[in-house]
Amino acid sequence: MKAFLTLVFLLLSSSIYATEQAEQLFNQLKPSLYQIKLIDKASGEKSSIGSGFQISADGIIATNYHVISSYALHPKKYRIEYLDSQGNKGDLSLQRVDVINDLALVSRTSQPDMPYFKLSKTTPQKGEQLFSLGNPHDLGMIVVPGTYNGLKKESFNDRIHFTGSINSGMSGGPVVNKQAEVVGVNVATSGNAIGFLVPHDKLVTLYKAFLTTAQGSIEEQMSEQLLANQEKLMSEILNSPWQAKQLGKQAIIPIIDVPFIRCWGDSNADKADALILTAIANCSLDENTYISSRFFTGSMEIEFRTMNAKNIGANKFYQLYQQQIAHAGASNRAGKDNVTEYQCHHDLVKPENNAINNKSIFCTRAYKKFPNLFDILYLSASIDKNKEALVSHFTVAGINQENSLAFTRKFMEAVSWK
Amino acid sequence: MEIKAISPQSMTMQNIATKETIPELIIEEVSKNYKLLHRHRLTKENIHIGRDYHNDVILADPHICPSHLSIEFVDGKWKIIDHQTVNGTFIENVKHKKHAANQYIIQDGDIITLGKSQLRIVFNNHQVSPTLAFSPFESFIDLMRHPIALFLSILLFTIVAGGVFYFNKPTEVNFSQLLVPAIGMTLGFTIWPAGVSLVSHLSKHDARVMTQLGVSFAFFNLMWFSDILETIVTFNSASNAILPMIIMLISIALAFSLFWLNSYIGFHMSARRRIIIAASITGLLFGGSYLVRYSNKPEFNPRPQYDATIMMPNFLVAPSSSVDSFIEDSSKLFDKTSKEAQKK
Repeated sequence: MKAFLTLVFLLLSSSIYATEQAEQLFNQLKPSLYQIKLIDKASGEKSSIGSGFQISADGIIATNYHVISSYALHPKKYRIEYLDSQGNKGDLSLQRVDVINDLALVSRTSQPDMPYFKLSKTTPQKGEQLFSLGNPHDLGMIVVPGTYNGLKKESFNDRIHFTGSINSGMSGGPVVNKQAEVVGVNVATSGNAIGFLVPHDKLVTLYKAFLTTAQGSIEEQMSEQLLANQEKLMSEILNSPWQAKQLGKQAIIPIIDVPFIRCWGDSNADKADALILTAIANCSLDENTYISSRFFTGSMEIEFRTMNAKNIGANKFYQLYQQQIAHAGASNRAGKDNVTEYQCHHDLVKPENNAINNKSIFCTRAYKKFPNLFDILYLSASIDKNKEALVSHFTVAGINQENSLAFTRKFMEAVSWK
Repeated sequence: MEIKAISPQSMTMQNIATKETIPELIIEEVSKNYKLLHRHRLTKENIHIGRDYHNDVILADPHICPSHLSIEFVDGKWKIIDHQTVNGTFIENVKHKKHAANQYIIQDGDIITLGKSQLRIVFNNHQVSPTLAFSPFESFIDLMRHPIALFLSILLFTIVAGGVFYFNKPTEVNFSQLLVPAIGMTLGFTIWPAGVSLVSHLSKHDARVMTQLGVSFAFFNLMWFSDILETIVTFNSASNAILPMIIMLISIALAFSLFWLNSYIGFHMSARRRIIIAASITGLLFGGSYLVRYSNKPEFNPRPQYDATIMMPNFLVAPSSSVDSFIEDSSKLFDKTSKEAQKK
């Protein structure tokens, strides 16, 4: 009983302590926190809101790229406005973006003795208590305590896994440790108090680049970053081991052995009345680079499907098989303003090892604003067995020509029959 | 040579007729669109036309007067006399527009309008169109309308239709489940030849239902065949091949032939007109389906449009390309789309 009481007391006191600390931190940091609004010039009303925080004495404010993305793409249509803790408003100008890490730097007119956030020099310890700041749903600035849970390991570009509820509108707000140093930036939520942060070192890098190197236009910065990111991603994928794995009874498929590509499987073995027994392996890159609400890139999806005819003839099997492969589509969202329509090529292809004969289809569409970047789609259907088939398919968004062809070649040679 | 020999002779015939023998005149009752309703051959110098029963040509049209007009043979020429009728008499021919006919000298082929009826006046030396030879398709047409051939081609059509339903059904199906759509489809396709027969019957031609059915189903079967051929060729060729395009022309040619034969069987018309009609229907069919597809096409399609035709290995005849050549061909797409992207 005594022990129990002690425990309750301990919990109580620690939570009181945390609340006090959060309040203290919040009051200390409040002056450097901003709500950031995008104002539609024609209607004069806000079209999106987020949070931001000042990181230098001369008025540089950090936020998320996705908070100001509409302005970055259509600077004539919007202006960026800030609202500080005292209710002062003012215009902001966009300086730099990091579209891969979803960061942006904007600047306000500087005043003497403006307080600003210090960026941490160390990464937090697992389990360390952190405080996320921001303005959720336009309800006013709040502070949310939570826990640092390391980097999300499936992510190609680092993200901190933060246990604490981040809500929309808090995007771009800082996450600080007990010393009030920034360790991350709110960026995304996965529901139920699972939040994701951009690590502070990305912000440090972006800020240093802003101070030292000359800057091109926002579009040029984005283009450069997208090209560099796909280069980094694809060289890692192409240089990683591709493990041959068996799918179904006879198929050999490649599984790319990198932590950021995760695979899932399914089959219809439980459906007794199915005419075709199907097994599916689906691998995807858990990454989606936000360009605008209607344009995402950076995703990658690989799918393999084996089919075995049960009680039907080859002719009917192929007819149904054709219906299965007739409607492949892109995995990323993109519209008319951002990409061209797909152009496709198809042919009968047999790799050098003669292990499979395929009908292969390759399609690509080009990005309108970012030269040398494409979305690609590949689909291959085996045509050498009467009642058995293997479909291999992938889509990659935001990739250049050289990497597209290198990846396609390696992929085509890795798929075969046993 | 023969023509020369005949023409002076017919001239003399005409001379004889004008001077000595009683003249001969052919009066044809024709419908609004000049279809022949009734024909009278009269050998008299004075011909009476009207609604009452002492006339030589009795017409029932209530807008015609009892004694409407006479045609008189004067000085080797036929002249119209209108008996001051209520609704008048009018003449119409190639040279002149419609005008009042009283005291008019008739020429070969003139059309007289009286009341709401029309008469065509033809002289007995009127030039008729040359004899139509049987087309070389006649034996094919005869074969196809034979009951056994007709039964077999409809049966073949139904079997293929059932097969198509069977192959495309993703679930297990039994025979009766296939029978209904197959017969339904056959009946649906019967509408075309039946419709053509109906139209030719309504336009005072022979209906010839069996012949239309036989020929149409023979062609429907040929179209199944060309479809299969097209699929095989598409399956065996790469996206830049020309052969599938050529194969598509076969189906257009088949459709044209079918429409040509339909009109050959169902209607009497000149060869040129028949070609124009068959070509128009073909154009309407293919052009129309193209238009429908074109108008349904969204302004921007986020999905790739590719050919996914695959068939069982038995139909595979073409050799496969290497990965190298596939990559090489695919790489050309990047330039194409990049150019597209730069266009605004």
